[in-house]
Amino acid sequence: MSAVAVLPSVEDMIEARELTKRYGGRTAVDGLTFTVRPGAVTGFLGPNGAGKSTTMRLALGLVRPTAGSVTVAGRRYSELAAPLREAGALLDARAVHGGHTVRRHLLGLARSHGIPARRVDEVLGAVGLESVADRRARGLSLGMAQRLGIAAALIGDPGVLILDEPVNGLDTEGIRWIRALLKSLAAEGRTVFLASHLMSELELTADRIIVIGRGRLLADTDMRTFIESNSPHATLLRTPAEESGRMRALLEARGAAVRPDAHGRWRVTGPTTTDIGELAREHRIAVHELTPCRSSLEEIYTALTGAAVEYRSTRSADANAEEELSCMPS
Amino acid sequence: MHAVVNTAVTPAPGFREALAFEWTKFTGLRSTLWTTAAAALVTVAGAVFVSLTRSLQPDDTVLGGSLTLSVVGLMIAGVVGALTVCGEYSSGTMATTLAAVPRRGRVPAAKTVLVSAVLYVVGLVSCTVAYLLGDAFLDGSYAQGRPLPALFGIAALFSVVGALGVAIGLVVRHPAGAVTVVIAVLLLPSLFGPLFGDLQRWVAGAAPTAALEKLTQTSDAAPEAVGSLGGWPSLALVTAYTALALAAASGVLCRRDV
Repeated sequence: MSAVAVLPSVEDMIEARELTKRYGGRTAVDGLTFTVRPGAVTGFLGPNGAGKSTTMRLALGLVRPTAGSVTVAGRRYSELAAPLREAGALLDARAVHGGHTVRRHLLGLARSHGIPARRVDEVLGAVGLESVADRRARGLSLGMAQRLGIAAALIGDPGVLILDEPVNGLDTEGIRWIRALLKSLAAEGRTVFLASHLMSELELTADRIIVIGRGRLLADTDMRTFIESNSPHATLLRTPAEESGRMRALLEARGAAVRPDAHGRWRVTGPTTTDIGELAREHRIAVHELTPCRSSLEEIYTALTGAAVEYRSTRSADANAEEELSCMPS
Repeated sequence: MHAVVNTAVTPAPGFREALAFEWTKFTGLRSTLWTTAAAALVTVAGAVFVSLTRSLQPDDTVLGGSLTLSVVGLMIAGVVGALTVCGEYSSGTMATTLAAVPRRGRVPAAKTVLVSAVLYVVGLVSCTVAYLLGDAFLDGSYAQGRPLPALFGIAALFSVVGALGVAIGLVVRHPAGAVTVVIAVLLLPSLFGPLFGDLQRWVAGAAPTAALEKLTQTSDAAPEAVGSLGGWPSLALVTAYTALALAAASGVLCRRDV
């Protein structure tokens, strides 16, 4: 790795502009505009059928947009001179001819770009498949097939990686491995675009997040901002029993919503945890517990995409999410 | 490692690389290699069979008799062409292939060049061996037929039918469907030709199998059945419509979502 590789390059961006794909009467991708930048893992989140795979296929020029455009490294994919050197993709781990050996599958891709055969051994080593290199693909487990798919994506040492659900079928060790791999690829200055329907997976891997539902953009931000801006401020508060009524009155006078929780605490939404603490000190009320709460990404996601699936019940979906808000010490 | 490989030292890949890609896939599959071998074996086996059973019509030629089963070899050649395309659709690798070669016209072009070159060699070698076997075993009562330059034309016909298989595979995509269409294109004109009355010689005569019969100079190639067009013009006709079919099929591939 040279020093140059670490510099984020605008050349390696994925940019979608008003990207739209309709199949007959069904709109799979609906006016998506987003930018995926180098040097970070960008999570691409949405329920099954939200349009993630179609968007990735559009980016790779496999599917033609109905309207709008998407570019990879500044150009339409089909105009890239050496596409596998610019972008590597894993769309479907099972899309390997079962009769080909692991090595042969990678060798074909290497030869399509005049890449020397030793690169095949490099990527086999990088994904830990050396021992099954001469096995036919039909005999691979889903986990091994995912690794082969990642090896194929890496064959041209590309600046952009487009990965559709690469975690499917991996065991715990494999999941930890891929998480570390993707982070290191991003740290080298590459653009990593990672689709998943599993919020929990992206929460640990992605730096940025793009959320879509029904083909539409719901959020495009960095992970921390996403969590913070989408979680209602909630604080769990415990005061001595004789003071709790007075504390509640004080909070409600400031417009806070206060409800008891199952453990005899007040669950306060509205003011920040800091403000609540200051308020208690001001009125000389003892505080036994003061816990800021954040909704987990899973809950935010459910609320967001629930709204996208059922347009008319947006408010109730939000309300439900708030109701079920669990407490994650931040 | 990123920047090292990403430099402009290596030139942009072109048709040569697309061809190397197809060659690597073709030679890595037992299924395509065996199917190709079957095209040769059945042709040679036909010569041995005809010689041993002495089943040849008295008015036939040694060349035509030796190549009796080359029509089956020709069908298998078409299947080989179809499978190089349909194998990619059924396994899901067409997306991978087109992501590696997004100038899509290069994919059918490379597949056609590969299949045609391989089948030319297979056709030439197997038909020559079949003729030599027939020549050695059949008694002297038959007219010889002129093997040269006919054998080169027969080999070329194997190439062209392989290319036709590629075109059919591109349009049909499903392996079983494509194989069925390949065999139908080769068989049906001579089967249904008689239904067309006076047009029979045009319907049956335009089929690749008619070109084969004429080139092998078999007694089956009667003008009333397959027309009076000679062997070489028939080969040219088949080549011409195969080229049109390939152009149309490439157009379909270029426009279609994968």
